[in-house]
Amino acid sequence: MSLTSPLFFAFLAAVVVAFHVSESVAYRRFVLGAANTIFIASYLTDVTQVLPLIAFLALGYVCVSALYLRQSSLVLASGVVAILCCYVFLKRFSFFEGLGQLPFPYLTIGLSYILFRILHIMVDVQSGDLAERIGPLAFFRFTCNFLCFVSGPIQRYQDFSAMDGKAAVRLDSSVVYAAFSRIATGYVKFVIIAATADYAFTFLSPHLLQPAGLPLLKLCAVYAAVASLYTIYLYFNFSGYMDIVIGIGTLLGQTLPENFDKPFSARSFLEFWQRWHMTLSQWFKLYLFNPLLMFLMTWVPSPALTSYLGVLAFFITFGVMGVWHGTTAVFVIYGLLMGAGASINKLWQVACTERLGKKRYRALTGSTAYIYFARGLTVAYFVLALTCLWVPELPQFTYLLARLGVAGVVGTFVLVAAAFGMAALSLDLVQARIRIPLTLSLTQGGEITKNLHLAGKMMAIIAVATLLHKAPDFVYKAF
Amino acid sequence: MKYILRQSALTLLSFAFLYVLLAGASFVVFPDPSSAGPRDFQAAEQTLYMTVPKYVFLGRSVLANPDRKIILVGASNTGVGFRQKLVQSNLGCAKVSNLAMGGANISEVRQVVNLVHEVQSDQERRLNTFVIGVWFGMFIDSDVKYAEGDRHRGETDVDIERYRYGFYRRTPDGPVAVLPAKWLDAGVMTIRPFLLLEKVAREARAGVNLVLTGRTSAQRTDDERESVVMSDAEKQKALESWKETMGRTSDISPTQVEVLKQTIQALLDSGEKVVLVDLPIPAWHREASPYQPSYRRALTDLLREFGDQPNFSSLNMDDLDNDLDYSDEVHAKRHLADVWSTRLARKLDSFVCLEKPDKSSPKVTTLRSSAQVTTAAPGN
Repeated sequence: MSLTSPLFFAFLAAVVVAFHVSESVAYRRFVLGAANTIFIASYLTDVTQVLPLIAFLALGYVCVSALYLRQSSLVLASGVVAILCCYVFLKRFSFFEGLGQLPFPYLTIGLSYILFRILHIMVDVQSGDLAERIGPLAFFRFTCNFLCFVSGPIQRYQDFSAMDGKAAVRLDSSVVYAAFSRIATGYVKFVIIAATADYAFTFLSPHLLQPAGLPLLKLCAVYAAVASLYTIYLYFNFSGYMDIVIGIGTLLGQTLPENFDKPFSARSFLEFWQRWHMTLSQWFKLYLFNPLLMFLMTWVPSPALTSYLGVLAFFITFGVMGVWHGTTAVFVIYGLLMGAGASINKLWQVACTERLGKKRYRALTGSTAYIYFARGLTVAYFVLALTCLWVPELPQFTYLLARLGVAGVVGTFVLVAAAFGMAALSLDLVQARIRIPLTLSLTQGGEITKNLHLAGKMMAIIAVATLLHKAPDFVYKAF
Repeated sequence: MKYILRQSALTLLSFAFLYVLLAGASFVVFPDPSSAGPRDFQAAEQTLYMTVPKYVFLGRSVLANPDRKIILVGASNTGVGFRQKLVQSNLGCAKVSNLAMGGANISEVRQVVNLVHEVQSDQERRLNTFVIGVWFGMFIDSDVKYAEGDRHRGETDVDIERYRYGFYRRTPDGPVAVLPAKWLDAGVMTIRPFLLLEKVAREARAGVNLVLTGRTSAQRTDDERESVVMSDAEKQKALESWKETMGRTSDISPTQVEVLKQTIQALLDSGEKVVLVDLPIPAWHREASPYQPSYRRALTDLLREFGDQPNFSSLNMDDLDNDLDYSDEVHAKRHLADVWSTRLARKLDSFVCLEKPDKSSPKVTTLRSSAQVTTAAPGN
């Protein structure tokens, strides 16, 4: 079910109305369960396509149940291995082609996020953090919540359970307006900004892979533009999607976790990942980085080496997170780049703190020049690393790298870093000097103005959606 | 629930208010043109519809009337080369409309014919004379021709307009009408606010272009086209570009030839007239292009097949091939377009105007003077 299809809006209206018909928790849980089923069914053309997903969920539930019976590390490890093997098989990773594949087409959308939710339940049950017994229907509602099914946000079961069918958010006119406004803003990001960036990206990107070579300078400029456009597309597509589902969640009494917090204002790569796809990075921090660091520290119990073990843990965590994004060899490169970015960032912090001391390092990171320099570097690194997502085949990727050469890659990096650093500085300076006139801020709060503003957004969304030839799709659906 | 219903009502009311406001503004700025008679679809830019495909798709109901009609279809060289006003001024018996679309292949020409038919009754169809302008560059398969990333592969500009406002829906078997053709005008009325917004967006973009580049669009004006002379390097580049565009090494698509054949046959079967115009290109291009021989062979076969049908005629203007009369490798300059238009008008005058339409019997036409009607080989 596409987010921009009339069918989705009809489905949404029906779910919201059905949910609020009764305040009975059992009834509301039934409505949410039915909504999840209908949402998943909308992706199917044949009932066999859902069988692997059902099998995956069943395996997950069996593993969770086994852990309720026996909270041992062995059961957890066996369960994790079984779930991961099943996931790898169903996702058809190109480097595991030898495993074979099912002889019919089937649904893989949402599988990655279901994996995260199942692993989280297993770990929390084993550690005792999740004592509540989860029934099969609650398990289905949590793992296949239609709002988070395609691409998160990744909720913790404890948070989900607290509001499962209970309308945890008290609705009043301002909350409802805020939800409507958030949904409209999401569509503005998704349909207008992201789709326009994608439109420009689609036109420019073929120039990079054409055999007739552009001169190096022009190639760098085109590459910088294409990579930046893809980043804009990715961010507004994904964060727009999140605005939409979080807004809808509010109307269904759910508070879904945020996934973005101004990522482009990050002053370091590590901070960037605290602001970008936050629920994913928090998941990896909780369930991979922390246990891994603990393990490494137990294995090498030297306080002098703790910082460097952190560097290694960062490398492995970000590496795995990168590889998770795709099924081809280029995503391994993406994982290595993510791991390298995080490790270099951590090493820099360790080295600066050792050399300058905490106070002077803090003073350095607070200076204007350092802030914008660091913001430029952070964004440029991320923008160029994302190339792996839009050139996912290794031959094309290596061809592009060969054409650019070291000089081309470095030149593009400097270009993007300088352009972004300067743009961020200019924007911040302008924002600091602009004050909304009192009269305007007063009218902004008026009922009529607010609703006309909302309707204006809707009008613009429809106009742009009709102007562009292709309906935008959600990019993270593929991951 | 009551807050959700209240907010939904407020949002809908606000939306309706803006919608009515914009619809009203669209009628003030772009009053609805006359619902009958000829329309210069090539002047789409000056209308609310902005582009030729959109104007043809949304504005074609003007062709549903009991007048005798000349309907020009083809690609951009038909659009540029046959000036609707000039052809019309030389032709008293029929209303002339130029529905040619830039970048059209033969399949898209067929779609335009179908669009016209959708809004016409059988009786009205028999009063049509389709002028089909062709040259080798139109014989490209849709999957090759329409492969840009911003569209679904193989979808023509007509397809895009069909889906754009939901008048059609996309299915594995192709477009399926959601809005019946008889409701077309009502459908257009409902989308006027959005057409106005799009128009404003395009005008704003033109304004930005004007500020940045000193001109509103990258396209050359008629005056600029009149003075341009192609260099040898530009000619070579054009040849290479067509080699890439055609997707074949030396011949035109046989599938497209078949589509043209079927289109002509269908038109003749339904009692309509067809004039097939072999559009000239500059001599240098004709001689250097590897596609011209296969195009010529296909055209000769078509003319042989249909040449003896009374409702079929052809026009060849091969003598108008002076390199300097073309602004590029395909398009006639304004002064040459005047000559093209006059020749076409003369041909149509003899083929269409000098006979009485016989509505009861589509297959049989009564000619006032058979000597004045040419129906055979190119060159007539």
